[in-house]
This record gives sequence, structure tokens and C-alpha cells, in this order.
Amino acid sequence: MSERGTYFDKVWDRRVVQRLPGDSALLFADRVVLYELLGAKAALDIEERFGGRLYDPQRIVAVTDHIAPAKDGDSAQQAQALRLWARRNGVRMYDIGEGGICHVVVGERGYVTPGTTVCCSDSHTCTLGAFGAIALGAGTTAIEGAMLGGALVVKRPKVMRVQVNGRLASGATAKDLALKVSQMLGFRGGVGYVLEYAGEAIEALTMEQRLTLCNMAIEAGATTGIIAADATTYDYLAAAGVDVTPDDALRADADARYDATLEIDASALGPMISWGTNPGESVPIDDAVPADADPAALAYMGLTAGQKLRGLAIDQAFIGSCTNARLSDLRAAAEVFRGRHVSVPTIVTPGSERVRRAAEREGLHEVFQDAGALWTHSTCGACCGLSMGVLAPQMRCASSSNRNFPGRMGEGGRVHLAAPVVVAASAVLGRLATADELEPALTEVHA
Amino acid sequence: MIVEGPVLPLDRANVDTDQITPGRYLVGMNTDNLAAIALSGVPGAAELLAAHPDAAVLVARENFGCGSSREHAVWALLQRGIRAVVATSFGRIFEENAYNNGLVPVTIGESDLDALMHAQTLRIDVERGTIAVPAREDSPEREIAFELDPLRREYLAGGFLAFVERQIPDVRAWEAAHSTP
Repeated sequence: MSERGTYFDKVWDRRVVQRLPGDSALLFADRVVLYELLGAKAALDIEERFGGRLYDPQRIVAVTDHIAPAKDGDSAQQAQALRLWARRNGVRMYDIGEGGICHVVVGERGYVTPGTTVCCSDSHTCTLGAFGAIALGAGTTAIEGAMLGGALVVKRPKVMRVQVNGRLASGATAKDLALKVSQMLGFRGGVGYVLEYAGEAIEALTMEQRLTLCNMAIEAGATTGIIAADATTYDYLAAAGVDVTPDDALRADADARYDATLEIDASALGPMISWGTNPGESVPIDDAVPADADPAALAYMGLTAGQKLRGLAIDQAFIGSCTNARLSDLRAAAEVFRGRHVSVPTIVTPGSERVRRAAEREGLHEVFQDAGALWTHSTCGACCGLSMGVLAPQMRCASSSNRNFPGRMGEGGRVHLAAPVVVAASAVLGRLATADELEPALTEVHA
Repeated sequence: MIVEGPVLPLDRANVDTDQITPGRYLVGMNTDNLAAIALSGVPGAAELLAAHPDAAVLVARENFGCGSSREHAVWALLQRGIRAVVATSFGRIFEENAYNNGLVPVTIGESDLDALMHAQTLRIDVERGTIAVPAREDSPEREIAFELDPLRREYLAGGFLAFVERQIPDVRAWEAAHSTP
């Protein structure tokens, strides 16, 4: 199995400290990321059980993101516990006002480099596979192990090549590609696999687009996603102030053997929308709800099989999350909002405080606010339904986030996942829509 | 190790960890009070739990525990009295968390699952890797074999962190010999 020669295997082989029974291995943990909601307990457990021994505090990064700033006493306790622990242990913490969503912060600040590993107590850690690294979400205990021992116990996954041919059609985004992969594989089609994205379309993606794509590998049940590092990766890291020498040996063999292959024609893609209660339940926006749709999902979503999705009235719109809240996402959404006005409550939440400030330097916050949207500080916010923008039962929300699980954004709330431009157009029209349905913006009319 | 007790038949696929432990219950430092909220995001689970108050073995369909990495999902099931989960497949992180906390994750084939879904009680012999299925009108008593991960089964008794701790000298030696950021 170790002779497959895939890009993933090349990284894996470089990080094996020790082979273990059952095709598992002890992998070196280059970075460990913690956040308040699921990280504070891990940090305190290590202190309690092992006297605070850490393998290397400089390899650990902490943020507050899920409920940031704290909303009540309980959430304040979690953030404060992590904050004080970080201070006691010399761990770098990006707190409110400086940080933002962990996967965005860790990526933009160059903490993840090609050929390394990163782990975090959050399933969307797979986002960071975009840097050509093995990026693993893990539970509390596994993260404690990584903090204590500097290593992860990982079962070697099978490798699926997600071959994306052609170039993304002009009406399609990385999010539509991510939803297409979810639809094709289904919610569990990736279980036991790492998704290695490759092909002309992938090579042409910017880092921000790659991060969006890798973010949703977990939504097909995959162990993680990964994209081979190339000039795009190294240029991005250089701009982030990280000096990494490109490594020509770190590449998939020309005759690499994959355990499975999924082929997609990027040029045929268009806007996608989820209709059900997992991201695999997604279709092109002009398709109807599938005839064989799961009745439980239909009941939850208040839909019927065969129903059209375009035009479905919504009650709220959300642009944000570790999937789609980077500067390019905000720019694209702003182009839709410019000179127009929302017709449902709309929240725009930048992925990090760095992204927020960059967006404000370009005046994007004015565009959102002129359009009547709420422009917020950076946080996971409405995506996880814990602190703000929570949905009431039966409220329907178009969202640029990654999960439409029952109750995800609020008990009984209905979530339709889509690209930021689709969410923005839907916010303006108050129904699931694409930007080509919009009347010319006021500014264009005046011009 | 033997797990024996009444079955909780959760006849659903893709039960994600948001449903097992909704996010609002992750707020705060206390993780010992999850028994009452276990599975509270699964539609119809309240009636199911009320009908099976002493359940020890949860039987579900494929991809159980997918989604969020929250270990609370495993803690909540354990606090509710569940000692083993039988399904046709698991979310990776949930399965790891289960091993690390002593919740036995048993993977079996689709054809066997139907029989287990209808059983009142099950007896799981973790060492031998067998599930005893009681006799029913139309079928005699029988055994279903399963395999646990040969490495992670050692962690069921709570040894994961001790294992990692023992590897530290090797990890340090590896780091000294390799280039890392």
C-alpha cells in the first residue's frame, strides 16, 4: 500500500515516526490548533493529568472563534480557560479582535506548509490540505495526545483521485465544485479515503479557491482532502511571509496508483444548491428536488420531491464560515450587492480579522451595509448556530457555509448551501436565485 | 470484555454528531452532564429512548457519527449507558473517539444489521469479536463475527494517552533527524 506513489503518500512517508499495527502509523504533528469550544477542555486535561507537559508549545496555536466574543458565562469560561492556559504555557493565541475562524487564521498566517501535518479538534481542519499538507480533524483525546506527545495515531486511508478536467465555467465557483463532489460521492462516499484533487481545473485554482474546495472533503466522509503544492502554494506562502523552498521531490509519481478515481468536467459546472440535510443532497440550482429524495430530509426541509429550487422563498441569508469568507469571497458577494438592497435579514461575517480589515480597506463593508446587510466581526457565527444569527424552526436560510444538518444553524432551521454569489443574489431577491436574475444595479443605471 | 444488554434500535443512516449532541450543549467546561441530551437532535429519539431506558447497545445504519469532531457525542452515549455501537460504517473521527473512550464501535455487514435491529438484547464478546444474536421465531440463535482495529482496540481500556506518552522519546529522536517547520 505504501508504494502507491500518490502525493498524499509522499507527505505521509515524510511524517511517519513509526509504523503501527493495522496499517496505522504514528505521524509527527507539525501543528496543533485549539479553539475555545472544543479545545479548552483538552488543554486543561493535559495540565491536570500530565502536569501541563507539552511536547512543544511553539507548535500549538490557539484561537477563539466558535462563540467569539463570549455570549454568556459558560462560553466566557471556555474562552478564559484557553486564554489563561495559553498564557501559562507560552502558546500563541489569536483572540477576538486579532484572530478569527481558526482554519482561516492558521492558513493566512502561514502556519501550514507543504509536506507537513496539522491537526485541530474541528472536522473542517481538512481545509488546510489545500497547502499540500495532511490536515486532520480529531477528537479531544487525540488532540491531547498531539499536544503531549507531538504525534498523531492515524490509520492510513485509501487515496481517491478527484480528477477535475477543463476550467471552471465562468458561472461556477470553487464552492459549486465542492458541492458537486459532495453530490457525486454522496455523504458517505468518501469514508476511508483521502480526496486528492488534481487536474487542470485544480492547478488553475487560487489558494483561496483551493481552501474552499478542501474544506468540504469531510462532507463526503473523507479522512481529509489534499492538493499537491505548486507555484500557487509557494507564492501564497511567500506573500504570507513564510520562506519555504519549493520541493520538487514532493509530487505524485507519474504512474501513481489510486484506489479510486472520480472524474469531473469543470467546464460543465454551474451554480449548485443543497436541498436536503447533508451536503451530498445538492443539485444544480435549476434541477428539481430528486424524485427519490429521502422522505425524512424532505419533511425536515419542508419540500416535496420534484419541487423546483430556484425561486424558493428564504427568510435569511448568511455569507461567512471557514468555507467561504475569505477576501475573494467577499469581493464576489460585494459585486452582487453593489447598488442593490437585500430583502431578507442578511449577515456577512469575514473569515478573520485580517480579512475584515482588508475588506474594509477596499470599502466592501460600505457595499454590504449600503445594501442593508449586517457586517460583523470575524467569528464562526451563524454557521454553527451557537451565538448569533440563529434560525427559528422552519426558517429557511441561504448560506455560504458547509453544513445543512438538522438543527445546525438552530433547531428546526432549514439551510441551503451555496456559493457566496448565489447567497448574495438570493438575499437581494428573497428567494433562491442567481445573479443573472437581478435587475441592473442602481449604480449601473445612473452610469 | 463483554458488552451485554438491551438494544437501542436507531434505524437511521448518517446520524451526525450534531444530532447526537447538539452544539448548544458543548458550551461550558462541564462535560459530565450529557446523559440527558444524548441523541436529542435525532427526530423521534426521545420516544425511542423512553421505550429503551436501559439500552446498552446502540444499533444504527451506515455512517454513524459523521460530521463534527466533538468527542461529546461519545461521552454522551457512554453517560446514557451505551457501551457499544453497531453500524455498517462510522465517521472516522467518531470511531477514533469511541476507541479512545472505551465505547466499542462494531462494524458489520448490511445483511446482518437487519437481524440486530430487531433483537431485544445482544451480547458482544469484544475479545473474540463475536455478537450473539438471540433466537427468533424464524431463525435460531447465531453468532456474527466482526473485527476491531488491531491497534485501537488496545485503547478501549483507556490507554491511548499512555501509549502516546511512551512514544515521546521516539518522536523527539525523529524530530531531531528531520526537517520540520
